Amino acid sequence: MNRRRFMTLTGSTLAMLGGGQTFAQGQPRIRIDPTEFQPIPIAITNFLPGSPSDGDVGNGVTQVITNNLKRSGLFAPIDQAAFIERINNIDVAPQFQNWKTINAQALVTGRMTRQPDGRLKAEFRLWDVVSGQQLAGQQYFTSPEYWRRIAHIISDQIYERMTGEKGYFDSRVVFVDESGPKERRVKRLAMMDQDGANVRYLTRGSDLVLTPRFSPNSQEITYMEFGQGDPKVYLFNIETGQREIVGNFPGMTFAPRFSPDGQRVIMSLQQGGNSNLFVMDLRSRSTTRLTDTPAIDTSPSYSPDGARICFESDRGGRSQIYVMAAGGGQAQRISFSKDDTNASYSTPVWSPKGDYIAFTRQGGGQFSIGVMKPDGSGERLLTSGFHNEGPTFSPNGRVLMFFRDPGGNGGPSLYSVDISGRNELKVPTPGFASDPAWSPLLSSTAGQ
Amino acid sequence: MKVNVDKTLVASIALHVLVLGWGLVTFSSKAYVAPEESLPVDIISTDQLAKMMAGQKTGEKDKPKPKVEKIAEPKPEEDAVGKVTEKKELIKTNSQPEPPPKPVEKPVEKKPEPPKPVAEAKPKEEPKPQEKKPDAAKEDPIAELQKKLDTKKPPPKPVEQKVAAVQPQQPPKPKERSFDPAQIQRDLDKRAATRHELTGSALNASAALGLATGTAANNVATWRGAFQGAVKRCFTPTYNGQDADQYEADIDIPMKIDGSLASEPIVVAVRGPSRSIAQAVAESAKRAIVQCQVYSFMPKQQYESWKLIPMTFGLKDML
Repeated sequence: MNRRRFMTLTGSTLAMLGGGQTFAQGQPRIRIDPTEFQPIPIAITNFLPGSPSDGDVGNGVTQVITNNLKRSGLFAPIDQAAFIERINNIDVAPQFQNWKTINAQALVTGRMTRQPDGRLKAEFRLWDVVSGQQLAGQQYFTSPEYWRRIAHIISDQIYERMTGEKGYFDSRVVFVDESGPKERRVKRLAMMDQDGANVRYLTRGSDLVLTPRFSPNSQEITYMEFGQGDPKVYLFNIETGQREIVGNFPGMTFAPRFSPDGQRVIMSLQQGGNSNLFVMDLRSRSTTRLTDTPAIDTSPSYSPDGARICFESDRGGRSQIYVMAAGGGQAQRISFSKDDTNASYSTPVWSPKGDYIAFTRQGGGQFSIGVMKPDGSGERLLTSGFHNEGPTFSPNGRVLMFFRDPGGNGGPSLYSVDISGRNELKVPTPGFASDPAWSPLLSSTAGQ
Repeated sequence: MKVNVDKTLVASIALHVLVLGWGLVTFSSKAYVAPEESLPVDIISTDQLAKMMAGQKTGEKDKPKPKVEKIAEPKPEEDAVGKVTEKKELIKTNSQPEPPPKPVEKPVEKKPEPPKPVAEAKPKEEPKPQEKKPDAAKEDPIAELQKKLDTKKPPPKPVEQKVAAVQPQQPPKPKERSFDPAQIQRDLDKRAATRHELTGSALNASAALGLATGTAANNVATWRGAFQGAVKRCFTPTYNGQDADQYEADIDIPMKIDGSLASEPIVVAVRGPSRSIAQAVAESAKRAIVQCQVYSFMPKQQYESWKLIPMTFGLKDML
């Protein structure tokens, strides 16, 4: 990933360089480097209804935004019972002193209005309480049934304006829904919003499904399904509901994943007791072998630029993570446990930002979820327990979702955790859930 | 019986004894030669010590509290007996008498009161004069000494006159008694002029270097640290990515003398791989600066040094 260092000088800065700056040059700068962050106190008022019938949707949007920002761990929404001022008109600047009194750093106001054509108009303003300036203001038109998505988009706007990073709220998660007794567990492919709402089942559960993965445009899902014969990799179109087998290989194919451009699918192909990595071009349907070793190479994942892939392999005797060029070649092992030489690493996945590779580590009788830099340095375990597995990055690379199975007669559930290891939360699902995969940001892929 | 003595053995023994003896002498002598460093030692005379301590002693003596206590003790005992009506009259007089003439009107009623305490106080005073009698006996040797010091009397008199203006008359008297040796020393020691002016801090040179816990020399760093801590409490950046250490925001803060902001903080520069994240860091820093004011703890006498405070906000410790 190319990173450009830059320096911006504002107009006031130039003025300082000409005059006042000389005053400051006499003494060294006082430096502040906080060791940990505190969530930003933010006040989110109820979205005003354009008409009496819009009250419920206005409150619903407010609730979704509040829930999104709170679950991110970066914001601390203030209880509305503490509000001093009541917003009656979002077009009038609020009395900022009233919001300073309750220690709010930011204020969100909004309005939901039903249009004559039946559409819903959503408006919001984000205020900097300290400076009294408006940081953001947008309006959207949508069908009334998509009011939740509008709430997610507004949440992303607030998140990005306050943190400088892209949000991840307007996104979906595909996962394996599990129901029924443990010995006869029914596994269905399911999809939901990132906050657990709007669950949709994509398969009926007659066949076992595993490892679903979103395409870059979030319109397709590739996954492995145990059909009548060998397990095969399928391609599923979300809009049409149609599915097709990816390739026609004699053995089992599994662990598929899209390339960043969505034109290829990389997967494992079983050959005897071994498995190697293959990539198939979805247009030409041509396949290319990437590895050829007497070992099990699986769980491949592309880097964001598509130039490299990381995968797991037991070619060294134990499952470890390797990195190699996307076209194949010499692979370099990057996982080296310092405290447990017998630890094994699996299910690597490259961050959308390219800065980390998440993994599952098994060692010391525990399964851990962690991250490391692409060169293998900076390994950091985020959570450990009886069984944690299958990490997937949020679209902005800031949050990991994974599944945890407590053992016993229960079943797995989905959890999310910040890449710093903070803010571990359970993701609501209708039943047991495993093997999550996070979609890209929907609003950024709308044009694709 | 003839004993054959080997000459070489004798020579060897003699040589060993010689070498060992030389070694004992040389090694032991070296061991006793300790590398001593010269230590600066100042000899403080009793007179200098007395001068160093003089301030404290005189300070304590200036308090004439014991006299007040002696007078106060007899009064409450007699008043508590039961002349309440007379006390009321006294209160009336006390309320009116602003000028001294009023006490002249009431002495008629007060006269009976003072005599009683005086009558009771007299027995107590009687033993005191008895104690004074031996003092009178002491006057005799003094009188004898006065005869010997007839020549010295004239100098104390002018001293008493000067002291009378200032009121500390007693100090000169002890000087007279211990004056002889000190004055002789002063007459003999020509260096006394410089040595007498040494103060406590000069005599104890190490004290002038300051203690490790001392903060007197760090006044500037103190306000810088306090300001840094105050702003840090309000600084809530949210980014903690792998490249967090690359983000920095330089901000200058114009200040008023009362510790409030003279104007909005000025973003001088922002640095980092992502412009939006760097800008968010700068805005977070600005919010912290504004939100945490007023910085009333800033030393007003050093206002020129913090009229414009340059700061750098970074994220290198976020993970």
